[in-house]
Amino acid sequence: MSATTDFVAAQNQNRRNTMVLLAVLTLLAGSIGYLVGALLETESSGTLPAVSQVGIAAAGLMAAASIGWSAISLAVGDRMVLSMAGAKAIEKQDAPQLYNVVEEISIAAGVPMPRVMVLETDALNAFATGNKVGSGTIAVTRGLLNALSRDELQGVVAHEMAHLRNLDTRYMVVVGVTVGLIALVCDMALRTLNWGRMRSDDRKGSSGGGILIIVLLVVAILAPLAAKAVQMAVSRQREYLADATSVQFTRNPNGLISALGKLAEKAAPFPGVSRATQHLFIVNPIHQFTSKTPALLATHPDIEDRIARLRNLGG
Amino acid sequence: MSTWIFLGIVVAIGLWLIAVYNGLVGGRNQAQTAWSQIDVQLKRRHDLIPNLVQVVKDAMGYEQETLTKVIQARNNAVAASGNAAQSGPAEAALSEATHGLLALMENYPQLKANDNVMQLQEELTTTENKIAFARQFYNDSVNAYNTRRQSFPAVLAAASLGFGPMDLFNMPESEREVPKVALR
Repeated sequence: MSATTDFVAAQNQNRRNTMVLLAVLTLLAGSIGYLVGALLETESSGTLPAVSQVGIAAAGLMAAASIGWSAISLAVGDRMVLSMAGAKAIEKQDAPQLYNVVEEISIAAGVPMPRVMVLETDALNAFATGNKVGSGTIAVTRGLLNALSRDELQGVVAHEMAHLRNLDTRYMVVVGVTVGLIALVCDMALRTLNWGRMRSDDRKGSSGGGILIIVLLVVAILAPLAAKAVQMAVSRQREYLADATSVQFTRNPNGLISALGKLAEKAAPFPGVSRATQHLFIVNPIHQFTSKTPALLATHPDIEDRIARLRNLGG
Repeated sequence: MSTWIFLGIVVAIGLWLIAVYNGLVGGRNQAQTAWSQIDVQLKRRHDLIPNLVQVVKDAMGYEQETLTKVIQARNNAVAASGNAAQSGPAEAALSEATHGLLALMENYPQLKANDNVMQLQEELTTTENKIAFARQFYNDSVNAYNTRRQSFPAVLAAASLGFGPMDLFNMPESEREVPKVALR
């Protein structure tokens, strides 16, 4: 992070990092499916096969379930977020400056005008949601509107527009579903394992199965934690990406820098936000992360680090 | 056998040409849409300026010269619109005059008490920003299009498919800055 980068390079790097993380997550889900399948086959046949057909089938099933579940979540996800306390759609006359700023940035981004919403709370925050370009929503809190200058508001709106254009809602839904699926399957595997061990104790025949059980036990305990860490890492990469894209839109990092400064100072816990939606906000609405917070499970990078990276973009 | 290989190659080249063609059409259309957005916003600026001058002229009685200059620049820009060669410099002059007026208005605190003035000032500010952002997006789109048509292997086919290079909009020095109006 010593050399000055431009926003294009920063965006490319964040995209590459996301792809690596998604590959890790897919690999993790696939291996768990395979292990569970292999164990089932061992249980029923009594020997450990070199290549488990059932394992491959289970890995495929994991992929199919992940895709199907993601599709359903994407279809209903928007409504869940927007039914959150106090979010209501506004027209231009309700908050002309906010509306104008969103319109400006949608021209800068070359995307259709999203819906604009205001959340009636004094907390300073903003979020964006939308599954495809052209049907998004950008919401800011009343506290944010009152506290920020026009330039700062522009930086925040550009960050949210960046989430919409980069399809981050979709990314995070798919990642969240895969992580949930890993947790579910590991949980099921742990339950099955107790039962399986008792059975193999009776038989004493399958030593290959015994090794497999230990491997699966370790994986089933560690995998959900690893998946969660990967999910949070993806979330942080998308935040950095949105910050860099925000500068592409406004060509003025100073607005977002000074807005983030105010958000860091006055971030207040936000009523009515569930864990499922916390990654959508510009700063985490539930916890206030500082550089002392353990970074591994944070949805957002620490604000000082984000400001440092933005300064680096040549503000 | 060799007939099939030959046919396969022909089909592959055909598919590749279609992909190049569609990609370039998409890029060119995006740039052209961006250009028409600039015109929309310039028109909006022409409409707004007389209204703003009208409401501030009593309070800013000592700035008759500035006000006249803004109106003059606006009328020149309206007259030049449609003529690409004259429109550029006329709009640049209008931008400069408008920014001057917006900056000067800061010296008149009583204007800030007037809702009508504040509303028009916000509208003019957002229109100025939209003009700047629309030009920026136009240039980004043209850059993406030009890069695409110059990249290998598209460069082999682009010219013969009728895709020439597009020109960037050159922003005058005075317009590179997004107007900074301290408005709260």
